[in-house]
Amino acid sequence: MRKQLLCITAFLLLAAGSFLLADGCWIRTKAVFAQLLLQHAWEETLETGEWTKAWPWADTWPVARLQMDRLGVDLIVLEGDHGEVLAFGPGHLPESSLPGSGGHCILAGHRDSSFRFLQDLQPGDLLSLQGADGRVHCFEMQSSQVSTAETLYLQQQDSAALTLITCYPFSALQPGTDLRYLVSAEKLVLPETTGLVPHKVNL
Amino acid sequence: MAEGKNKKGSGVRDPGNILFILYVGLLMVMLVLTVLQDGNAAQESQERSELLLSEVRQGELLFTGSERERYIPASHLSQDVELFVSGMVVRAKVRQRFQNDTAAWQEAIYVFPLPDGAAVDQLRLRIGERLIVGEIKEKKEAKKIYERARKEGKKASLLSQERPNIFTIAVANIAPGEEIEVEIEYQDVVQLDNNVFSLRFPMVVGPRYIPGTPLTDTLEKGAVTHFSGTGWALDTDLVKDASRITPPVFWAASGKKNPVQLRVELAPGFPLARLESLYHGVVVKDGVKGTKELSFSGEVMADRDFVLEWRAEKLQTPHAALFAENRDDKNYLLLMLSPPQLDVNDAVVARELIFVLDTSGSMAGPSIVQAQKALTLAIARLTDRDRFNVIEFNSNASQLFRAAVAADSGHRLQATRFVSSLTANGGTEIASALNLALDGRADHARIRQIVFLTDGCVGNEEQLLKQIGTGLGSSRLFTVGIGSAPNGYFMTRAATMGRGSFTYIGKAAEVQEKMSSLFAKLEHPAVTDIHLTSSDGKVSRLYAEPVADLYQGEPLLVSLLLPEDHTMLAVRGMRGGRVWEEKLDIGSLANRPGIATLWARKQIRLLMDSLALGGDKETIRQQVLDVAIPHHLVSRYSSLVAVEQKVSRQQENPLQRSVMKTNLPQGWQANKIFAGRARTATPAMLHILMGLVLLFLSFFLLLRVRRLEQ
Repeated sequence: MRKQLLCITAFLLLAAGSFLLADGCWIRTKAVFAQLLLQHAWEETLETGEWTKAWPWADTWPVARLQMDRLGVDLIVLEGDHGEVLAFGPGHLPESSLPGSGGHCILAGHRDSSFRFLQDLQPGDLLSLQGADGRVHCFEMQSSQVSTAETLYLQQQDSAALTLITCYPFSALQPGTDLRYLVSAEKLVLPETTGLVPHKVNL
Repeated sequence: MAEGKNKKGSGVRDPGNILFILYVGLLMVMLVLTVLQDGNAAQESQERSELLLSEVRQGELLFTGSERERYIPASHLSQDVELFVSGMVVRAKVRQRFQNDTAAWQEAIYVFPLPDGAAVDQLRLRIGERLIVGEIKEKKEAKKIYERARKEGKKASLLSQERPNIFTIAVANIAPGEEIEVEIEYQDVVQLDNNVFSLRFPMVVGPRYIPGTPLTDTLEKGAVTHFSGTGWALDTDLVKDASRITPPVFWAASGKKNPVQLRVELAPGFPLARLESLYHGVVVKDGVKGTKELSFSGEVMADRDFVLEWRAEKLQTPHAALFAENRDDKNYLLLMLSPPQLDVNDAVVARELIFVLDTSGSMAGPSIVQAQKALTLAIARLTDRDRFNVIEFNSNASQLFRAAVAADSGHRLQATRFVSSLTANGGTEIASALNLALDGRADHARIRQIVFLTDGCVGNEEQLLKQIGTGLGSSRLFTVGIGSAPNGYFMTRAATMGRGSFTYIGKAAEVQEKMSSLFAKLEHPAVTDIHLTSSDGKVSRLYAEPVADLYQGEPLLVSLLLPEDHTMLAVRGMRGGRVWEEKLDIGSLANRPGIATLWARKQIRLLMDSLALGGDKETIRQQVLDVAIPHHLVSRYSSLVAVEQKVSRQQENPLQRSVMKTNLPQGWQANKIFAGRARTATPAMLHILMGLVLLFLSFFLLLRVRRLEQ
């Protein structure tokens, strides 16, 4: 009788454990797979100049591509910041300026998937952000700070700036912490292009 | 008993082992896969990034990272606006002055709004004493001409249309310290709603991030259904080239700029009871013969729409107004007709409302919450006179009541509960929902309005539209687009097919306002099934497009091109269940310049509509040009371009481009953005660790079981 009970408990544990493990892995796998699909959607966006969804029932669409060479980061940024968006990649806060529009662009991502690399960013690191018009904008990492989520109000501004947000601490296990890790980057003006340059006239 | 136990024990043990190995194996595979894919992705991205960078270097004029200059305003802008109102017709003259305060030659670009229906037909470039008159050209050709002049150092200006109500002006080769004036003229009509005349002059293109599924050719469509100076959300849904219509903005710290002077000469044609500028302080002076002259009383920056309203002294505004112009031996006509007000004796029209709610998987998240809120509001507005039903659909459609029921409080409560119990998952079988909604059961004593809330995420649009077209009968279809990215294209077209309108709700905060205005409108249908015919013997349909229903307080406003010999015009429709007819004498009307232009503008809009309804792009483009070029109108396919023959900038002087910044619309805060909302962590690691712990426990237990057996 005791053996039977042990047996049942063992299998229940086995089932529950496998489910949790599978779910954990699925969250990770989903993020990776989604990025592959998103890459295609992004290329189409660049080609056609139209927002393109990666899969037909998606609630969101790619709006930018974030790259960071030193850490091998290449992420397609999605529109929106709710959970269903962030599951697939970093999201662009709809109230903030679009990448490449010259204002303050704010992106949020998961500390344990897409934005894990934020902990390794150093001041001076270069981030490149490609907007839907194909232009690549270079940002230089300035500083990082930790803030509580409730007080995290960021100023809209004239000049181009980029802020990346993720949960903090990075090593925390439970998902619902109220601390956020902020990385601020400023637009870099490349020295060779500060003078007069020809523009593709886009009227 | 012991045997049985043993059997059971051994029976469990074996699959246990197999299962255990299977589980562990599966887990290992998944873990390996995850790690591998991470690696793959990283490697691939590296290759991609290199490729991308090299592409950029080879790209012809793509100087990335240098876009900063684009946002530094080096020219300054001031505007003079003159509006001449005569009866229903408006002639507007907008002078934009670009002042180059830098030491370099400048090209100035300014994105600006004009009223929705503005027929832009004049562009003049004023350089000191010289005046260069713009010519109408096919859009690409105009651009080429401008580009060439710009390169050659000639002063030039190009006016092109981005949206029916958003235009871009480019002025090339402004010398250091020089000021160039561009003069734009357009024709428009005054709006009349509930006996109030109103004139709107928009001054700023509101900056906003623009969500939306790509829609190229339905812009004009949107304008017809629900577009207004403030109806940004809809426009946003239709955006394809957001960067072109979202000019850079002065944020609060910089203060407001772009001063505007405005003057209105108003000849209403009747004594006024009220004249009011809604948002700006004005000085009013009496002119000759009952005309009024208005101008701004203080300094005004272009940051909000100017709206002027007036009302006749006698409340009976003329219920029909006709204006005519004879141009090139053709008779153009502008007809405005207000159906008589429903009076208290008139029975209030009974309605049957069918609410259709999309509960498919694509609506999951904020969308379904918004839709539920919208529907709850709608149900609450019903009265006991109305009948209604609620249909929900995902993979299949179901209706709350077998047929529409009286909207008494019991049924309303039942419906509200039903709506709040809905969750989103499954497919999007709109067809079956349409089958239920368009069941052909028409109750002739009632007006049947179908309100369709969806994100329209479907691929079989054509089939659905056909279904709407054939099954509509006397129903009207009003689509409400929900969520961050509804298929506005489908919904706009569906609403046009369904002779209703499309409302877009992008944010939960907008639900209340948008739904209230939609339902207020739906509650008062005035005249339906409107047709225009010329009624001298032969009956010919003059107006090919179905005229939309009129709702309470809306006048009928149509532009017509008449054959010479017609002298009577008949307007026929259904009002309160009876035929309503108006006959108008069009025999002798004074010539009124501008009417032909309005007709041409309307014609272009109709052509653009048919493009949205699936017309052939090239044919329609040609048809639009056939109207736009002779009438000298800026359209989607034609632009005005003015070029000075003299070369003023020598090639050794480079040309800088500056995009004029616009103000934030009044009331908009250069706001702080709340960024702490996003939940930026997943429970993945927690689940993995907990899973592993549980697996170890079970492994441990299984081992014990084994030992017990042995």
